[in-house]
Amino acid sequence: MIGLLRVIASSGPAVHVAPAGVLQIGSLTVTNSMLYGWICTLFISIVLIWTAHRVTIKPKGGFIQYVEVGVDFISNLVEDSFDNKKIGRKYVPFFVTIFFFILFNNWLGLLPIVGEGFRRGNFPLLRPFTGDLNGTLAMGAVTMLVVYVASIRESGGLINYLKHFFVGNPLNPLFLFIGLLEMLTDLTRVISLSLRLFLNVTIGEILITVFAYLGHFLAPLTALPFTLLEVLVAALQAYIFTILGTMYLAVAVNGASEHADKTDLTDEAVPGTMELAGGERATHG
Amino acid sequence: MTFADAAINTTIISKGLILGGGFIGPGIGIGLVGGNYLQAVGRNPGASKFLLGQALIFVAIVELFGLLAFASIFIVA
Repeated sequence: MIGLLRVIASSGPAVHVAPAGVLQIGSLTVTNSMLYGWICTLFISIVLIWTAHRVTIKPKGGFIQYVEVGVDFISNLVEDSFDNKKIGRKYVPFFVTIFFFILFNNWLGLLPIVGEGFRRGNFPLLRPFTGDLNGTLAMGAVTMLVVYVASIRESGGLINYLKHFFVGNPLNPLFLFIGLLEMLTDLTRVISLSLRLFLNVTIGEILITVFAYLGHFLAPLTALPFTLLEVLVAALQAYIFTILGTMYLAVAVNGASEHADKTDLTDEAVPGTMELAGGERATHG
Repeated sequence: MTFADAAINTTIISKGLILGGGFIGPGIGIGLVGGNYLQAVGRNPGASKFLLGQALIFVAIVELFGLLAFASIFIVA
């Protein structure tokens, strides 16, 4: 790792943000980020299938337990965001897959062999899949497609789905305007999901490269804090991507089921007592 | 020599303005999110676990605009 970082430091800070072709299969150009994505997918599949065969009721610890914690965390998160947990249970596999894909992609992308340290000609041979806008845009588009299809199916038809954009009667011009605005905001979600992931990963890469360059022969020492920060950011971004996708779906599905049985916000629906953290009870009203 | 004669590197100036201006907003935003999170946890310590997830989501949403500003300095030529 030290040697590779010194190579970066001596050649000046240069980060290739655009993907570059490494292979040519027929008319399809395989870019470095695609190659990395495929390797990553293979790695994740092998590791997670291997793990799935070794899960026991009494945990033995080690790597398997960490995977279990991750799966449990995300599946609880997805189930709890839905009013009806049975609906949420159906979409757990998709979101767990997305979470682990982004997590492993980001973490493996921090290895010195990925990125500028390992070149073929003038371009890196492998680039993080999430550090390429094409990759994250595809992920954002797939996620939003799943969200749209699922929310139309769960809310029972297109009309019911469109109803959740309107807070009141659509014939009221104010509510109509707000509803149309909501629909427009909905379309920007693909871009915001993909840009957030792409920029976080790419800027992390730039940050590490710049500090490795500034450190000169102390490159490992100056780049280490930022690499550790990136480990945290990578996990956070995987979490954010998953929970935003879940929330987009949950808002549409929960809103639709709320419309079915008129929302009641009168005094009877509000509990008279509420539990405080210390276990005391406070009354209000 | 007048001021107009000196070669002014407008690229550097614009990059500085983008970075300076673009980082103010997210800085304030993350400060507000963090401050209000601490206030909420101070009021109800039991909700800290639930609120942390919510706070992180909003940090990520706010952070996007800072990242956009950072990314756009590479477009300026």
